[in-house]
Amino acid sequence: MTDIDPARVAELTERERARVAERLPRSIAFAKRASQSLAGGVACSWHALDPFTIYGDRGAGSRMWDLDGNAYVDLHAGYGVMVVGHAHPKVVEAVRTRVALGTHFAMPVEDTVVVAELLAERFGLPLWRFKNSGSEATMDACRIMRAATGRDLVIKVEGCYHGSSDGLAFSYWIDVDEAGPADRPVPVPNTAGVAELYGRALRVVPFNDLGAVERVLDEDGDRVAGMILEPVPMNVGVIEPEPGYLQGLAQLLHGYGALLAFDEVKTGATIAAGGARERFGATPDVVALAKAIGGGVPIGAVGGTEEAMRVLADGTMEGEGTFNGNPLSMAAARVVLSEILTPDAYVRLEERGRSYADGVRGVFDRHGLSATVSAVGCRGSVHQRAGAPRNFREAVDADADIATLAWLFQINAGVFMPSGDPWTIGIAHSEDDLARSVEAFDAFATAITA
Amino acid sequence: MAVRESVEIDLDRVDRLIQEQEAELEPRHRASIEYRKNAELHVAGGVASSWQDAPPHAIFIDRGDGSRIWDIDGNEYIDYHLGYGAMVVGHAHPAIVEAIQRQASRGTHFAQPTRDLDVIGENLADRFSLPLWRFCNSGTEATLEAARLMRAKTGRDRLIKIEGTYHGHHDSLMFSVIPDPELMGPREHPVTVPQAPGIPQAFADLVRVVPFNDLAAARQAFEERPGEVAGMIVEPAMMNCGVVLPEPGYLQGLADLCHEFGAYLAFDEVKTGAALAYGGAVEAFGVVPDIVCLAKAMGGGTPCGAIGATEELFALVVGGEYDMAGTFNGNPLTMAATRATLTRVLTRDAYPALDRLHGLLHERLSAVIERHRLPAYVTGLGAKGSVIYSPTPVREYRDALGIDERITYLAWLFQQNGGVFKSPWSKQETWTLSVAHTDGDVQRYVENFETFARAVTT
Repeated sequence: MTDIDPARVAELTERERARVAERLPRSIAFAKRASQSLAGGVACSWHALDPFTIYGDRGAGSRMWDLDGNAYVDLHAGYGVMVVGHAHPKVVEAVRTRVALGTHFAMPVEDTVVVAELLAERFGLPLWRFKNSGSEATMDACRIMRAATGRDLVIKVEGCYHGSSDGLAFSYWIDVDEAGPADRPVPVPNTAGVAELYGRALRVVPFNDLGAVERVLDEDGDRVAGMILEPVPMNVGVIEPEPGYLQGLAQLLHGYGALLAFDEVKTGATIAAGGARERFGATPDVVALAKAIGGGVPIGAVGGTEEAMRVLADGTMEGEGTFNGNPLSMAAARVVLSEILTPDAYVRLEERGRSYADGVRGVFDRHGLSATVSAVGCRGSVHQRAGAPRNFREAVDADADIATLAWLFQINAGVFMPSGDPWTIGIAHSEDDLARSVEAFDAFATAITA
Repeated sequence: MAVRESVEIDLDRVDRLIQEQEAELEPRHRASIEYRKNAELHVAGGVASSWQDAPPHAIFIDRGDGSRIWDIDGNEYIDYHLGYGAMVVGHAHPAIVEAIQRQASRGTHFAQPTRDLDVIGENLADRFSLPLWRFCNSGTEATLEAARLMRAKTGRDRLIKIEGTYHGHHDSLMFSVIPDPELMGPREHPVTVPQAPGIPQAFADLVRVVPFNDLAAARQAFEERPGEVAGMIVEPAMMNCGVVLPEPGYLQGLADLCHEFGAYLAFDEVKTGAALAYGGAVEAFGVVPDIVCLAKAMGGGTPCGAIGATEELFALVVGGEYDMAGTFNGNPLTMAATRATLTRVLTRDAYPALDRLHGLLHERLSAVIERHRLPAYVTGLGAKGSVIYSPTPVREYRDALGIDERITYLAWLFQQNGGVFKSPWSKQETWTLSVAHTDGDVQRYVENFETFARAVTT
C-alpha cells in the first residue's frame, strides 16, 4: 500500500477548498443574505457544506446547476431520492396535472389505494400507510411494533440513522468514546436536546452481529417489541450485510414474540425494485420507506404484515398526519412506481452501479491506495480504510481528511457527491457522467500519491 | 355572549335524526363505500390517516377548485374542512398552480437549499416577529424540533403542555390530546395520558399537563419542579377542541412565567398561523413567544412545516451543537408553493376579506342560535371558527366534556346532505374559510345550520 503524507493531504485540501470558493461567489453571497432569516442560511443543518453551502438552482436528468451556473453530474440525488432523475417528464406531468385538480383534502383519494397496491406487490407486505418523510415512517414503525406487542423496548443498530424522532435519535452520529463497549453499545443521543430518557427504551447492538441480538433477547426478550435497522446501513457510507445476518434476524426475534422492522428509506426501490427482501431474501414484519418512492416529492410510507398492521387496521392505534396520502405525493409516487422504476430500470441501475464501483476500485488499486468501495446496486461509497467496514465503529475508523479531499476533487470536477453519504446512480446517468467521476477519483489519487 | 334561556336538546330526537340523515347520505356515497372495500386490502384501515375514516364512512375525494371539492360519487361540496384548515388559499389557486408547475420542470429536490428561502424567511419573520427560521415537512416535525430546541437550550428535559391540545404524533408530545375522563385525573394535577398505544408510559414522565386559560395552574407546574422545565408549548388558541380563545393576559402571562423560571414558550401555530390573521396568533393576540411552529396553511397544499425562533435559541443550531435536519426540509417544490402562498395569496390584503366573511358567518349563525334558542355560541377569529354546543363558555378542555358529540355529528350530517363539507370528528363544529369562499358559500352553510337547528328544536 502507498503511504499517504498527511501534510500533502492538508496542502491539497487548502488548494481544492480555494478552488471551490472561486466557483461559488453567488452561493457565498446568497448564504450571507439567507443567514439573516434562515438559521445558518439553510433549511436543514446538513445543507451547510464545508467550505461553502452550494445553493441549487435547477436540475434535469442526471444534472444539477447551482446558483453560479456550475453544472454537476448529480450523484448525490438529494440523499438518494432522485433515482428517476431531476424533472423526469412523467413526474413533471403527474405533478402538473394533479396540482390543477387540488393537492390536499385530508380525505382519502384513489391514488392512495393505487400506490398501496404497488408497494404491496413490490415489498410483499399487504398493508400500508402514508407519511411525509422517512422520519415519520420510522417513528410509526416503532410505534406499530410497540402497540402490536404491548412492549416498550426497541433494539437499534449502532450507526443506523432513522430520522429525527426522539425515540430513535440515538447512536448514530456520535463519539464512539462515549458509546461503551463495541459489542454492547450504550445509547448516545445524536444531538443536543434529545432527552436521555428516550434512550432507556432502546437496546443498541452492532451491525452484522446476530450474537449481540441474541444476548439482548436472552436478557430482555419478553420486553422487546422489536428491532429496527437499515438492512444496508447507508448513513456512514454503505456497510454491506454479511451473508446470513439479515436472514437470521426474523427468526431470532420471532422466537421471543418480537418483530422486525427494516428501515428501507434509503434502500427501498433503489437496491432492488422490492428492496432488501428482494435483494437478500429477508422478510421483515414492518418496512419504512420514503425518499426515492416519491420521485422528488415529500413522502413516507410504512407497511407491514396483517399481524403487525392490525393495530392500525382495526383502530386500536391511531396513525395520523394531516398530509398523509395527499394526492400530490400519491400522484408522483404512482407514476414513479408504475411507469419509471420498472424491472428494466433496475437492470440498468445494477449494471451502471457495478461498472462504476469497479471503476472506482480500479483507481485505488492502480495507485495502491488502501481505500475500499462498498456498493449494493446503484448505491455505494468509499471508505478511506483498508478493508470494508462490517459495522459503525469500523466505518468511522477511517481517514476523514482524505475522504474530505476526495470529495473536494469531485466537486471541483463538476460531480456533486454527498460528503459521507453514499452515491446514487439514477436512471438518467450516462457512462460519460460516471466516467467523469471516476476520472476525478483518479486525479485525486494521483495528487495524493505524487 | 349574552346570557339567555336556551332549550335542552332532546338526544332521542338527535338519535332519530342521525339515522334519517345517515340514510339520506348513504346512497350518495355509493362509490366511496364500494371503493373503501377495495382500499382496505392494502391500506391499513382503508385510509392513509386514521382520522380520514370518519363516521358514517370514509369519503373519497376526486378534485378541488376554489372553495369547492367533488367526491368520487360526483357530489359537489363547499369545503369548510379545507384539509384540516390547510387550504386557506383555496383549492388549485392559479398562483400556486403556476408556482408548482414551474418548479416541477426545474427540479423539486436537491437536498441543497435554493433561492426561495430568503424571501420566505423574511416574510415569516415579518409575520411572526421572530428573526430566524428553518423548514420541515409537517406540523408534527415542527413541534418535535421546538420541544428539542427548548431542551437543548436549557439542558432540561421536562415540558409543559395544555390538556386537550394536539401537537402532532411524535413521542414527546402525544399526550393528553383527548384524554379519557376516567384516566385524566384531577384538574389540579392532570394525569399525562398517552394518546395512543405504542407510546412507552415512561415517556409521559417528561410531560406535565395543565388546563388552558389558567395561569395559576401553570405557575404551580413550574413550582413543582423548578429548574427542570425546559419550556411550555401551547396552541395559542385551542383548535382541536373547537376554537377556544385565550383570555386576555393569559398568553403574555405564560411568556413571563416561562422566562421567570428560565424556560421558553413555544406557540404551536400549525392551525392558527396565517389563518387567524396575517401574523397568526402573534398578531391576533399581540404576544411574541420564543418559538413559533407552522405547517398546514403556509404551504398552499404541499407537505410543509416551519419553525421560527429567537437568535438566542437558534444559536445552538447555527453553531452546530444541534443538528436540525431532514431530507426534504426546504425542498424547492414546497418552497415554491410556500412562497406563492405567503407573497401572492395570503398577503396582508387577503385578511380583511376573510375577516368580513368570518363576521358574516358568525353573525348569521348566531342569529340562528338565538332564533331557535340553541344551547350554543359561535367563536373564532379570521379564517377559523366554531359553533360550541354549550350554553356556557368553554375555556378549557374539561368545560367541553359534557357536550354530547352526537349533536355535532348531526350538524355535520345536515351540512353534508346540504352540500357543505365540514371537518369530521371534532366534538365541536370547526370551520375554515378560504380566500375563494363567497357570501353565497357562507349563506349555504347558514341555511343548512338553520335546517339542523329547526329539526332539533321543534
